[in-house]
Parts: sequence; C-alpha cells; structure tokens
Amino acid sequence: MSTAGGERAGPRAWRPTTSLGRALVVGALGVALAVASGEPAVVVLVAPFVTLAALGLVHRPTRVPALDARLDHLTLREGIGTTSRLSVTDAEDVEYVARVAGQAPYVVMRPHGGREGRLLDGGATPEIEISPRRWGRRMLGQEKVALYAPWAGFRCGPVGLGGQWTRVLPAVAPYDSRAQAPQPVGLVGAHRSRRAGSGTELAGIRPFQAGDRLRRVNWRVSLRTGDLHVVTTRAEEDTGVLLVLDALVDLGVSDGVDGASSSLDLGVRAASAIAEHHVRQGDRVALRVIGRGHEQVGYGAGARHLRRLQDQLATVRVGATADRESDTGVLQLGVTAGAVVVVLSPMLAESVGTTAAMLTRRGVAVLVVDTLPDEAVPDVPESADPARAALAWRMRMLERSVVLERLAALGCPVVAWRGPGTVDDVLRRLARRAQLPRVVGR
Amino acid sequence: MIAEPTDWARSQLVLRALVLVGPVVAVLVSGPAGHGPPWWLVLVVAALSGASGWFADATFAVAPLLVAVGWWAAALGATTSAWLLVAAGALVVAHVAGLLASYGPPTMPVDRAVTRLWVRRGVLVLLTAPVAWAAVLLLDDQPEQPGIWVLGVGVACLATVAATVALRTEEGR
Repeated sequence: MSTAGGERAGPRAWRPTTSLGRALVVGALGVALAVASGEPAVVVLVAPFVTLAALGLVHRPTRVPALDARLDHLTLREGIGTTSRLSVTDAEDVEYVARVAGQAPYVVMRPHGGREGRLLDGGATPEIEISPRRWGRRMLGQEKVALYAPWAGFRCGPVGLGGQWTRVLPAVAPYDSRAQAPQPVGLVGAHRSRRAGSGTELAGIRPFQAGDRLRRVNWRVSLRTGDLHVVTTRAEEDTGVLLVLDALVDLGVSDGVDGASSSLDLGVRAASAIAEHHVRQGDRVALRVIGRGHEQVGYGAGARHLRRLQDQLATVRVGATADRESDTGVLQLGVTAGAVVVVLSPMLAESVGTTAAMLTRRGVAVLVVDTLPDEAVPDVPESADPARAALAWRMRMLERSVVLERLAALGCPVVAWRGPGTVDDVLRRLARRAQLPRVVGR
Repeated sequence: MIAEPTDWARSQLVLRALVLVGPVVAVLVSGPAGHGPPWWLVLVVAALSGASGWFADATFAVAPLLVAVGWWAAALGATTSAWLLVAAGALVVAHVAGLLASYGPPTMPVDRAVTRLWVRRGVLVLLTAPVAWAAVLLLDDQPEQPGIWVLGVGVACLATVAATVALRTEEGR
C-alpha cells in the first residue's frame, strides 16, 4: 500500500458554511423585523432558522482534521481497478465527508464518476474505485475532499489531495502460440532445433558410436540388426525474438480496453502478449520502439525482464523521430543472427517497410503484424479540404497495399492481429522455410 | 465551471427543484391567508429561487427567503393565519434542500443516510414554528404591554438554547 497523498491545497481550516450564514441572516433579520414592526407573524416564519443557526454555531469544531488518501496499487493493468482510501484523523468534529475525484482521460471510477459523500459513521470514509481503461502513465487519485461539521454549520476544505502517476500496463491478451520458432539458436528452451541434442523429439536411429549413452540404445533395432543402435533426438533451444513497435503514428479511435482500439493500442497489446508468450517459453525477447521516445529493451528472459518490457510498452509516446534513421529511411534495429523479428506497425511509414524488406532479404525471419484498424481515418486539420484529404488517404492506402504485397512477395508474411493464434500459421511456415537451403543477400 | 443539468444527479435535481419551489410556495400561500402577492413579486421570488437552486452554495441564496419573509411582514404582519405554518414549512424545506445540495457538486448524488438525517432535523426544527404560532395566538388577544417584545425575544432565545442543548444531548447518545 502506498500513499497517493502528499500535495495539499485549499483551505485547511473550518469556515462557516453559506447555509449557516443563510440561517443566521434570515433568523436575525426576521427577529429584528418582528421587534421593529411589532408584527408577530414574522417570528413564526423565522423561528426554525434561529434554531438551525444556533445549532450550527453550537457545533463549532475545535480541531482541524488531517487527511490522507492512498491507492491500494500503484501498478495496474488496463481494465483492472484499485481502490482509493481516505483516512481522516482528528475527525471527532466531522459529520460528513464529500470526495470528488479528478477526471482523468481513460479512467473510470465508481461510484458516480468518483463523487461520493457519506456520513462519517464510525470512522468509515467513502471509498472510490478507480480503473484505468488504457495503457500508459495515468494520474490517479487526484481529488478534493470537503468535511462538514454537525448541522452543516462549518466546512473544512475543499482540500486538494495530489494523486500519483501510475503505470498502467497493457492488458493480458488471451494469446498463445503452439508454433515453433523458425531459427532457434540458443542454449536451452522449448523450440525444436535442427541439430541433434538431448531433447525429446525423435530425430532418427543410427549405429552406436563411442560416447553414446547406454540409455539411448534402441534394443529392438539392435537385436534385429545384430549391431548396437541408438536413438537420436533434436536439441531443444530458445530463440531470440525482437519486437519492433511502430509508434510514429496512432491511427483510429481508442476507447480503452473495452472499446475500439487504435493502431498503437493494437500494437502495444500485441507486443505485450507476444512478449509474455515467448518469455514464458524461455525465449529471449527484446523490444525496440520506433518513435519519439526511442524506448528500447535488450534481449533477456524471465519474469523480471517481461515486467521491464511491459513497463517500457506502458510509456510509449507517439510521434515521429527526428534523427538520422528517418532521413535514410532505414532503421538500425540491431538484429542478431537467428532472431525472429516481429514488426507491429500500421505500415504507413516508408522506413518500416524498407527495413522489413531488407531484413527479409538478409534471411532474417521477419513477421509483420498489421495494426491498422479497419475504420482508421487520418487526423486531418480543420483547415484542410475534406475531399482532398480523403483522396490523399485513399492514395496512401493504395501505396500501403503495394508495400504489403511486395513484402509478401519477398517472403515476409503480413498478418492482422486477431489475438490467440494470430502468428501460429506464419511462424510454422517460417520454421519450415528456415530449414530449406537458400541464398540470401548480404 | 458548473456541469450541465443533464449531468446532474437525480437527487440533486430534486433538491434544487425544492429550493426553487419553497420560497415561491411561501409567497403564494399568503393568498389564502388574505392577501395574494402581485405577479411580479412571484416572478422575482421565482427568479431568485431559480438562481439559488442553480448555485446552491452561493451567498445570494438567502435573497428569496428574505423576500418571502419581508412580503409576509409587509402585507400580512398582523395575521395569525395557519397558512403561516405552511409558509414556514416551505421556507425550511427550501433551506434544507439547499443545504443538502451544497454538500457537493451537482453531479454528486446525495447520500440517502444524510437525507434521512436532515429530514428528521428539518421536522425537529420546524416544530418551533407551531410553538411560536401558538404563542402568537395566545398573545394576540392580550393588550400590548411595554417590554412584551423584549420579553418575547428573550423567551425565544432561551427556548432556542434549551432546544439546542436537548438536541445535542440526543445526538451524543
């Protein structure tokens, strides 16, 4: 549990409420009017106000309470919620607590948009459930709190309680793949290798050689042939997976985890799902984000590395990069031998298509996951002519389709992200192709 | 920046409607008591009440209440009509509704427990009106004596203090 409080603003002392002032003014002026004019009727009208004012004054608070708000969790996944709890100390003079949480984009709150007031009965303060609906860095827990004395005569606040930046990780996508990696060249792992080793997948049966283990002897074949034969198996190795995420643009509408997904939403969630799948298989996974932030994570394995990858994905910023790579049109991804490159992109940037084609020609197993949503439209300035903008977009889509066809012709599969099983088929094909002899360009 | 009424909580809408209606009713019931208010006065009170309902926590929310009390004092000061009690009730309802509405922004629903508490409190403080009305009825036939008003206000203050102490003791339990 960690605090979301700290920054405080607003009046921290008890002040009379307008309700008390209203009762005082009506009561005092009414009594004065009755005395001055000698009209008794006015006393009947203002007697309740005199009582209310007196009760409000009698319950004047003496101690200023201290406020602290805490979030139950500081790292969340999109769609998962946490609770903001308010603690009030020195609350003897407090009767009612009102909490109004700040409205942040892609954050939903319960109850009633983070607005709740409740009697401070037995010290139980109102709780606000907060759930970010989109990955990224979100300010959660910002709120204003007002405390009321009995009979609403005095109010403390509204006091502003500072929230805390919370890292919202991409949702756990239901992704699983049973396909083997195309080019496993590591040491240990779950992928079937081309070379023989101490795995479980049968590679063949051959005559016994010095150094072979006795438990590998196949007695049935040995008895039939009269010579000792042993079973050989394929080695099981890990592979390196480089995830390349295109954050140059974010096209489409993003309605959070339950609604429509933009291109970057699809890319981030797909990258997170693929990374999680491969890390759990024991593979080494690296991340390279093409965009303003230049986020990059080197190869690694294990749960901590997966968390690093997802942390980086949660901080991805959209925007074009202004460096040498953009000028040359070729991205330096630092692809190592045997790695599988998964490019997650809407394929609108020329440099991404060029780089994918170059890597494919070099013999690297490249897979492009197309993240452009079907209903995506460009963000056109209001001053632009809509007809021209539509025409330009159609032309851009035609160019894009040409790029995708050329990539497919080179042997670089392009698939749209569909969740589980999205890349199974293409990975199997890549694995089969990787076992064939081929000539590659250098 | 105040939210659009379409975003307001239903309970807030009801409370603010009561803030609007209360003073208007208090002025209108002076008609059955013997002196109907002019239409322009009703309009003024309605406008002031509407503004008070919109800005429940504003200082000027006292204005419609003062106008209603002033109208009763100016037009029907000497009356002892039972409609006074209706007017007092309408004013208290408007005041309590405004108080509840000002507990938070218009988009924040009002807790049921606090509404029940304030209904009880409103009824309790409203009991002072019939007591005052009975006292006025008793004194109405008596010839006015010097110092009777000072005495009356003193008694009212004492009664208020006694009621306050009684209510506070009840709360303490």
